[in-house]
Amino acid sequence: MHYESPVRNSLILGDKSYKDITNDIAKPVESKAPRAWWIAFSTAFVMFLWGIGCILYTIGTGIGVWGLNKTVDWAWDITNFVWWVGIGHAGTLISAVLLLFRQKWRMAINRSAEAMTIFSVIQAGLFPLIHMGRIWMAYWVMPIPNQFGSLWVNFNSPLLWDVFAISTYLTVSTVFWYVGLIPDFAMIRDRAINPVQKHIYKILSFGWGGKAKHWQRFEEVSLVLAGLATPLVLSVHTIVSFDFATSVIPGWHTTIFPPYFVAGAIFSGFAMVQTLLLIVRKIFKMEDYINIEHIEMMNIVIMVTGSIVGVAYITELFIAWYSGVEYEQYAFLNRATGPYWWAYWAMMTCNVFSPQFMWSKKLRTNLIFTFVISIVVNIGMWFERFVIIVTSIHRDYLPSSWSMFSPTFVDIGIYIGTIGFFFVLFLLYARTFPVIAQAELKTILKSSGENFKKHHDEHGAH
Amino acid sequence: MTENNKYWRGIEERSNPELTGKLAENEFSNEVSSADFLGNDEVVESKTSRRDFLKFMGFSTAAATLAACEAPIVESIPYVVKPDSLTPGLPSYYATSMFDGMDYASILVKTREGRPIKVEPNTDANFNGNTNARTQASVLSLYDGARLRNPKVSGEDASWGDALAAAKAMLTDKSVLLTSSVISPALKTAIAKLGLRHVSFDAVSSSARLNVYEGFTGKRGLPTIDLENAETVFAVGADFLGDWGGQNLMAAYANRRKPGKGMLRHLQAEAGLSISGSNSDVRIKARVSEYEAILAHIYNRVIAELDRSKLSAPVRTPALRQDIASSVEAVATELISAGSGALVLNGLNTENAERLALAINLALGSKAFNASKFVYTANGNDQAAAELFADAAAGSVDTIVTLGVNPAYQTPLVDLTGVNIVAIADRQDETTSKAKVTLPVSHYLESWSDFRAVDGHYAVGQPTISPLFDSKSAVEILNSLAGGSETAKTLIQESAALHAGSISWNALLHDGYVSTTAAEVSMNGSMDARMIDLSVIEVMKPQSGFEFYTYTKTGMGVGENANNPWTYELPDPISRLSWDNYIVMSAADAVELGIEVAAESNGAMTGNTLNITVDGRILKNVPVWIQPGQTKGTFGLAIGFGRTAVGKVGNNVGVNAFELLPSFNVLSTQVSAAASEVEHGFASVQLAHTMMGRKIVNEISLPTFMNISHEKWNEKPTFETYKGPLSAFEANLWDDHDHETSHMWNMSIDLNSCTGCGACVVACSLENNVPVVGKEEVRRHRDMHWLRIDRYYSSEMTAELADENGIGAIEKYAKMEIPSESPDVVFQPVMCQHCNHAPCETVCPVGATVHSREGLNHMAYNRCIGTRYCANNCPYKVRRFNWFNYKGNEKFTDVNPSQDDYGRMVLNPDVTVRARGVIEKCSLCIQRIQLGKLEAKKDGRMLTDGEFTTACAQACGSNAIVFGDVNNPESEVSLLKQEGRAYHLLEEVGTQPSVFYQTKVRNRA
Repeated sequence: MHYESPVRNSLILGDKSYKDITNDIAKPVESKAPRAWWIAFSTAFVMFLWGIGCILYTIGTGIGVWGLNKTVDWAWDITNFVWWVGIGHAGTLISAVLLLFRQKWRMAINRSAEAMTIFSVIQAGLFPLIHMGRIWMAYWVMPIPNQFGSLWVNFNSPLLWDVFAISTYLTVSTVFWYVGLIPDFAMIRDRAINPVQKHIYKILSFGWGGKAKHWQRFEEVSLVLAGLATPLVLSVHTIVSFDFATSVIPGWHTTIFPPYFVAGAIFSGFAMVQTLLLIVRKIFKMEDYINIEHIEMMNIVIMVTGSIVGVAYITELFIAWYSGVEYEQYAFLNRATGPYWWAYWAMMTCNVFSPQFMWSKKLRTNLIFTFVISIVVNIGMWFERFVIIVTSIHRDYLPSSWSMFSPTFVDIGIYIGTIGFFFVLFLLYARTFPVIAQAELKTILKSSGENFKKHHDEHGAH
Repeated sequence: MTENNKYWRGIEERSNPELTGKLAENEFSNEVSSADFLGNDEVVESKTSRRDFLKFMGFSTAAATLAACEAPIVESIPYVVKPDSLTPGLPSYYATSMFDGMDYASILVKTREGRPIKVEPNTDANFNGNTNARTQASVLSLYDGARLRNPKVSGEDASWGDALAAAKAMLTDKSVLLTSSVISPALKTAIAKLGLRHVSFDAVSSSARLNVYEGFTGKRGLPTIDLENAETVFAVGADFLGDWGGQNLMAAYANRRKPGKGMLRHLQAEAGLSISGSNSDVRIKARVSEYEAILAHIYNRVIAELDRSKLSAPVRTPALRQDIASSVEAVATELISAGSGALVLNGLNTENAERLALAINLALGSKAFNASKFVYTANGNDQAAAELFADAAAGSVDTIVTLGVNPAYQTPLVDLTGVNIVAIADRQDETTSKAKVTLPVSHYLESWSDFRAVDGHYAVGQPTISPLFDSKSAVEILNSLAGGSETAKTLIQESAALHAGSISWNALLHDGYVSTTAAEVSMNGSMDARMIDLSVIEVMKPQSGFEFYTYTKTGMGVGENANNPWTYELPDPISRLSWDNYIVMSAADAVELGIEVAAESNGAMTGNTLNITVDGRILKNVPVWIQPGQTKGTFGLAIGFGRTAVGKVGNNVGVNAFELLPSFNVLSTQVSAAASEVEHGFASVQLAHTMMGRKIVNEISLPTFMNISHEKWNEKPTFETYKGPLSAFEANLWDDHDHETSHMWNMSIDLNSCTGCGACVVACSLENNVPVVGKEEVRRHRDMHWLRIDRYYSSEMTAELADENGIGAIEKYAKMEIPSESPDVVFQPVMCQHCNHAPCETVCPVGATVHSREGLNHMAYNRCIGTRYCANNCPYKVRRFNWFNYKGNEKFTDVNPSQDDYGRMVLNPDVTVRARGVIEKCSLCIQRIQLGKLEAKKDGRMLTDGEFTTACAQACGSNAIVFGDVNNPESEVSLLKQEGRAYHLLEEVGTQPSVFYQTKVRNRA
């Protein structure tokens, strides 16, 4: 058995037995939905429908219903895309990278973090589709053999790399997540009374029998998938950043973008995990499993990645000045002092200054403060993408073409719609899936559980 | 002896002799009796029930019905016998001329399958073989659905016979014919035959100026300008590159502005920033009321310096304002030293101003001032018109026949209620709607006409399409009113026989014009500086308060194309605003009146409006634009707007300036104004007006050009690499395209020749079916122009100034955004630069934009999925996205020609109309390149330089745009590429464009 230093804090609080864990985690699936869930779900569903309406209006009428113009050809669409992809980063990082690094505290949060990843990548994937002028031709971005003669996709285009990066990421994340779910589905199957429910979970659990061979395969597949997913954590946002970094537009053409984007993505992803889990642990009474230790750990990640992002912002400014390139210098000066100065300073405040509070242990273990900061960070990260996209292209090389951007109700509606869609998915997930990887969690009950630690302290190691 | 041979019909018959009998039996089927049929058990047992039968029949009927429900078929009927001159798919060109009361141009009309679709300059013509934006746009006015379909009597449709009879019945000796300037000899003959009192007036009047010359020569015409002979030109309020004088001076000006020894020096004094003023070397911000005094001061200086005994006495003139006095003195000195190379042009329609200008030109012996050859395009008489209106008000006129004028709009203060109107007009406009009888007149492209626009030039206008509606040529209508029955063609042929000299009719039609030798102006010796007694004139006293004047815009002119969407969509070259007229005002006056114009959050410009009172007439909520270069205290307002009955495009766009200042007046000084609460939204295509210290338009002075090596002032960017310093064409990450094997199309744009007139923009829209998107979309910065003319003002803040005074970057850039109050102006046409390392090509995920071996950047609309990544990554921002379905969306029904059955006829069949959701951009007129190559290939010869060119290059009157193959070392463009002035826009980005620019040279130290 894994030995854990007594100075490490417990990861499972309370006097829990294996059965308690099973009961606690199966409870949201087996009990009736609380009122709060229905309220949240209805709200999210209305937002979702509104978003669908706006998307259909766009497809029916044209991209002209957005606020774009001849100079600013991307704005909220790609801002939202990058934002959602960024949020989608934490899941894989938690479940894959932390698995490889043997971070046990991930076990309480990886399931939901990965669910969040998948749901947010779905939102992200919407935008590259609907931002196309002719969405009905969207399949042309796939390198499919066709009847158009020698027509092929353009492998030079970062947008094409995006297609591959995002679809690979979505596939691997989903498979990884699903594999982890199999023993837990089996657990619910075994407890289910309702035959329909039992039948569904029976299918979902792929005939899991809990045999030693099953566990062995499970562990192996998890490890292999973790190995596959780890480079994706770096590649997806690196490739997303290439959309900008490989261009010629001042403010986009920046070599620091790949690491800066990855750090920013982890930053925003963890903030979103915080936001969601703080609510989940409260509503489903899972404070014992997602406890202050987890939250503090995540806050530390937020603080570190926030600082990396801050360094990146300052490096950009320095390089703009140091390069001596007039256009570059103006682009960054314009960000900070031009018409969109408020967006720039909102970004700076939310992303660079606010995470610095996490240096204080008192603040980073304060739930309310954490919740506020987690939302602030995601606002800041949205602004970061807006600043990069809009403030760079609204004033590029030729002043004659300078312009401004202002969203229309459709821009806003689609964004709200994706938030609604995301929560619709997440709320359905929270009611039907085991939100904590209980099978995995049980493996650390006897090393990181509070009662066992206490037992060790009282009776010695043996 | 006969043998009974047996013949078989086939081998089967031989092998089976009974077959013949069987086949014969089956040849006619036996009737099956109903008893047999009903008694047949098989039928009863058949699985096809009656129900099934009905089902099948129902299905078949429904299917047949559905199959018949096709989209309505628009019939196209092929020729039974192909006309000799017409090959489907190939254009035919016809030489003709157009005159609309303001613009006169010798043109070639391109027709496709019998439809005129494009107007090109007739560069062979000896007068105005040149097109401006309005001439280019005029072809769409032919397809204007608002045109009258048939004659009307008392508002009811009538036949020509009835309408003419009704009109004739109204004509008495108290009737008057009111026209705009008439330059057609045939029309004059018809007018004489009609025998009515004839009055003509022009909305943009030159009447007072004409009076001066009429007094000397008896001819109502204006002297022509031989700009080739000028060294220094000083224009006072005369926009001679715009709408002044009826003579298109663009080509001559561009020729004389070629940098080098003897480059024309251009001085300008004016109130509002005009195209000429923007191009000048020295610009004096004068008030309109100072124009006469400026001329008088110059005159006095000229006669003081020259031999006094020959000349008349100095003019008594008020003193000049402190701000401009020394500049005017400097101008006088320059003109005197230029001597006979000097030329003074006057734009103020007063006799005094014209006398002064004439006297100066004569005193200096100006070689450029040609008083022996007159241009007649404006020959209206304001006094005669004023008398007519007075008579009409007094009741001594019973009927007015109008032709080419719209008094209800142009002179709204005149009361014509007691007069019957017979309108010869093309639409139910402000005047026509009051007419008793309306006679529809054909568009010039459907008409026979002839022209004597200038001495030594006679032209005929021929129809290029039979009338779309039941309309007739003006000359035929007037002749019919006079009782004649000849057709227009006969009338023109008769006139041509008199005026065209010995040229054959066919040759005349082929050339479109003929040079006539006899100069018409007889110099009776009176027009001499000594004879112009100026000591008696009273020079206009400069005013200090607000003053108001009207001007014409490049797109609109007097408003002849006021229902033509292209004239509205074309941004004003100076203000860069489309779909509007507005009061232009200096920043200082705007502050004083509390007027602000600012961008909204989406970049759309919005500003306060003005309640303005001019001579006691009030106009409320007039939009105001703050115009750099505008003289403080002066308000200008463009005419041609504010129409109420012109058609769905032009109705209620802008305000009617004639309501403030009727067309006869040049200026009002009785002006008061106050800001109004109401706000107005502008459709501005350019938000930033300065170059922000960037090297975008290279500009140098003439001495620099003459004395310093071009490597110094046209330094190419270099990059430090491990291979040593490399140019932007050598420092590459990409493999180069093969540019040697085939053609390599390049374009040179001379920023020194470009005047900013906008003819190329309209020509491009016509040639390439560029959609018109209307005010709201332009306002959101979604104009679709493939070619735009950027206009930059200079700023008081420069990088050097900031360095000297230690001004920080933030303050520097903030101040750089503010244009100078007396700015230098530069124009830069920008279209797709056809980069050979194109940023757009690498980013398209589906390869919809790709490079050609001929140096072109292709755009495959079919392949485009509309990610707009290319547009974002274009450093020149020339790519345009189809935000809506412009050819179907209701929002664009009123403005976009392609939504109208008539408007669609103007579309160029060689160019696709783009679908919603795709990017489009300049193709360097690939359709023309392909046609040219095909023609050469068919003939089995090499392409020659200049065999074809792009629409913009063709329309450019100043030859600023030159297109050609740089792989042909003799081509004009390859010579231009070697010029020291040549540079690429944003060369340092490494895009390696195929379009390059020539540095602008201003003739000043």
